[in-house]
Amino acid sequence: MEYADTKDMRCRKHRRAPLAFGRRLALALGTACLVLASTPARAAGTVAGTDIVNMAQATYDAPGGGTPVTIDSNRVTIKVDELLDVTVVSSDPGDVIVGPGWTAQVLAYQLTNSGNGSEAFTLSADTARPGDEFDTTFEMVLLDSNGNGVYDPGVDTIYTPGANDPVLTPDESVTIFILSAIPDSAADTNRAEIELAAVANTGSGTPGSLFAGQGDGGGDAVIGSTGARDADSGFFVVQASDVRLVKSATVTDPFGGTEPVPGAVIRYQLVATTVGAGDLANLAIRDDIPADTTYQSGSITLDGAPLSDAASDGDAGSFDSGSIAVALGTVPGGQTRTITFQVTID
Amino acid sequence: MIKRLLLAIALILPGPALAANNVSLSSDVFVERKVAKPNGTTALILEQPRTVTPGDKLVFVVNYRNVGRAPATDFSVTNPLPKAVAFNGTSDGTEIVSVDGGKSWGPLSSLTYQSGNGEIRPALMTDVTHVKWKFNRSISAGSGGKLVFRGTVK
Repeated sequence: MEYADTKDMRCRKHRRAPLAFGRRLALALGTACLVLASTPARAAGTVAGTDIVNMAQATYDAPGGGTPVTIDSNRVTIKVDELLDVTVVSSDPGDVIVGPGWTAQVLAYQLTNSGNGSEAFTLSADTARPGDEFDTTFEMVLLDSNGNGVYDPGVDTIYTPGANDPVLTPDESVTIFILSAIPDSAADTNRAEIELAAVANTGSGTPGSLFAGQGDGGGDAVIGSTGARDADSGFFVVQASDVRLVKSATVTDPFGGTEPVPGAVIRYQLVATTVGAGDLANLAIRDDIPADTTYQSGSITLDGAPLSDAASDGDAGSFDSGSIAVALGTVPGGQTRTITFQVTID
Repeated sequence: MIKRLLLAIALILPGPALAANNVSLSSDVFVERKVAKPNGTTALILEQPRTVTPGDKLVFVVNYRNVGRAPATDFSVTNPLPKAVAFNGTSDGTEIVSVDGGKSWGPLSSLTYQSGNGEIRPALMTDVTHVKWKFNRSISAGSGGKLVFRGTVK
């Protein structure tokens, strides 16, 4: 808005030069204001079908005094046509993290009628964009029928082109969801581009093209600066994450040897290694105490530090009902955690 | 047949309202259209539109003429802005405007605007509701002129 004003001021400055009226005025207005670029994209504006009625009024003193005379000019009436404009913007703040084989993965888009008349839009989803690293399997497009911006299975309406094209009033927006299945073959860190396109049902194409009599409110429909079609993309990124667990045992017998005889101590070591680009959330390691052995209380360690046996005492380790457990929390990919505990052979 | 004849007569009657007194006033609205010329350049032309779209730039022209025999003194012309039009200034800058529906008047730079929440700020072009030209001289018999202002379809 600020910008438009500035430009206009410049234009006015040019026009302040004394001008002859008539055709030369029109010409001067025309050339002086060539600096005006097209109006910046803006909200819908005056609703299609509105009549702009202009009338001027003159007042002057009647000859010889008396009450001033007021006269009206003719009225000029111009109808506001429907401008067909639409914008589609991805609603996801960044790449949406998925894993191989996941189904019903959601990308969200905001569809806005940026025109000035009520208009229906045809939607299409493209899950096979060129230039990305994998394609998802398209499942469905849904309309956010309860308007909460979040995909609600069984609540939001499945979109069928031509059957329930969303009809939006000027400036109205609706959230659109595209559901995809991630192929099993999708590799770690790969990205997939999913595009939502929307086209005004009255028509689209070259800005300025006119559809006579098809405008909302009785006027014509004119394609606006967006071409009455728009598209935007959201992205999935695969974060395949996994954990590998390696268990080893060291036996120490009471006689200084390594024989698994009664009374010998077995020290078990569990090495958990996370792989992949993603985090592993709430990673917990649990191991049952083998039969015919007895757990040595207070023997759990994590990365060399001792842990207590009690559950919910603030530290990660616990011993209960014949098994030990260590809660590692969220572990990023590519890290190692080493857990040890000891048992005695009965 | 008679009906059709009457309609034809109505159509050829002059448009501007000639009041039964000695000043005539007529209003015209033009829209700027960009026209591609054969040599590849774009020309801005003014045409009288039947319809417009938001963002279109309008030029309002008010013609006045003293068609009487005596001078018209204390002459002023007022043009309320249609609701769907944002004011963009006049060609000569001699106008006074109102931003409150015609209650108070002055050059735009001297006016303030009170928004819905009571906040007061300097008035902007987009606040203008009326444009007015006050003539400090009388309009002599037979003389007239043209007042021009611009607006944008909101």
